[in-house]
Amino acid sequence: MTEISKTDSEWEPKIIGFLCNWCSYTGADLAGTSRLQYPPNIRIIKVMCSGRVNPQFILKAFQEGADGVLVSGCHPGDCHYIEGNYHAKRKLTLTTDLMEFMGVDPKRFQVSWVSASEGKKFAEVVIKFTAQIKELGPQNKLTGGDV
Amino acid sequence: MMDFQDFEAKIKSQAKQWLESGEVKFVIGYEKSHDSLIARPVFIHDAKDVDKLYWGPDCISNLTLYLVDEMKKKPKRGEEPFTHAVGIVVKPCDSKTIVELIKENMVPRERVKIIGVATENSINPDKLEAAIKDIPPGKRGGIRFIDDGNKNYIIKYDGGELKVPQEELEADKCKVCITHKPVIHDILVGESNEPFVPDEFEDVKKLEEMTEDQRWNYWKEHLSKCVRCYACRDVCPLCYCEECVFDKEKPFSWNEKSVQLRENTFYHMVRAMHLAGRCVDCGECDRVCPMGIPIREINRFLIKRAKERCKVFSGINVEDKPMFGSYDIDDPGEEIW
Repeated sequence: MTEISKTDSEWEPKIIGFLCNWCSYTGADLAGTSRLQYPPNIRIIKVMCSGRVNPQFILKAFQEGADGVLVSGCHPGDCHYIEGNYHAKRKLTLTTDLMEFMGVDPKRFQVSWVSASEGKKFAEVVIKFTAQIKELGPQNKLTGGDV
Repeated sequence: MMDFQDFEAKIKSQAKQWLESGEVKFVIGYEKSHDSLIARPVFIHDAKDVDKLYWGPDCISNLTLYLVDEMKKKPKRGEEPFTHAVGIVVKPCDSKTIVELIKENMVPRERVKIIGVATENSINPDKLEAAIKDIPPGKRGGIRFIDDGNKNYIIKYDGGELKVPQEELEADKCKVCITHKPVIHDILVGESNEPFVPDEFEDVKKLEEMTEDQRWNYWKEHLSKCVRCYACRDVCPLCYCEECVFDKEKPFSWNEKSVQLRENTFYHMVRAMHLAGRCVDCGECDRVCPMGIPIREINRFLIKRAKERCKVFSGINVEDKPMFGSYDIDDPGEEIW
């Protein structure tokens, strides 16, 4: 594979999305069946709950070359497992803080709450997040590219 | 003024009493070794061995690590579960570890008998080595410390003595110590009525004020030194998983064994996250690091953020809820879309 530089107009960001099975994944499905357009940069991984997302999944995704990571789950109070997303909130906001402290732009990591009926919101989140990552350019700190 | 000989005598008599009455199976304490600069851990199983126990400002290591090892032992099939208690000598910082272990149900309260020593500061081994460079190497093993009451240590060695200001030897963690009295203890040795001193996190604030790229360069410089000996993990009393994620190879390895910046960063970030809201800043990881990486700064940053964001402060009260085992509906999350 050839190295892609920031100035390359061909460059498209790679975004990994961890979506919860019950709300956000269904929300993404609704966006699809409603024929809403959103950027194809996001690669979706289905997890059973946003609380399942371990901080090391996020760091591993960055290490393997993701430019942005999106974690999406049910709105607080709507979790299929009652409280999974409250646990996720604690863990993931602290992960954002740690990334910032280590000198990695915390804007590359985003948490969002999208319910099963919010296909429109899901499309909007992906559009907004992709634009944000495009602005930041390729991520090369955690991949080891910046030595 | 700290009378180390008096402390030592009290520790010995308490250990002797517990061992003779059979209340504890053994006592974990410190002993003075002939070849090491600082005191080393000792396990006293028999009341006649209590004279081995030692106390001084060179009792640095966090002995709760061995307490966890003992609590992890499982009986063989068909045998009764273990119920024996273990005696342990702790400094105020180590007592916070015990609080955290009790909170996480790793150590049942009734299985640990705590001799808490109210001590003001412990020393940094590197600083000690620099201070006693004039003492011939063969005579360093048996050095003893005396507090002269004027913030100086009188270091006694075979054939002479040396006066060193306490401040010169003080470990960094002791400068931000929140309490000089053990937070949990069965027997208190020494006295301290000083109130809790809130930690201001000056070192962390200094890093937070840097720009993002400055911080990245700072960590890049330090983390590329890491040789991944895992000493920081092995010495941590709160890293007690049966199988560590970094040792796991099946079905796949999360972290490659090679020493590269990307693997080192991953290791240190994940290790810090595993201790977020649990670390009590005992400073052992920093002390054992052979490459001088300021690991404590990452841990202290997460202590600070856990306190600010989730109102969790580790190692103070056994009644508190563990950081990741609980949640609060009002946890802040403004950055969530």
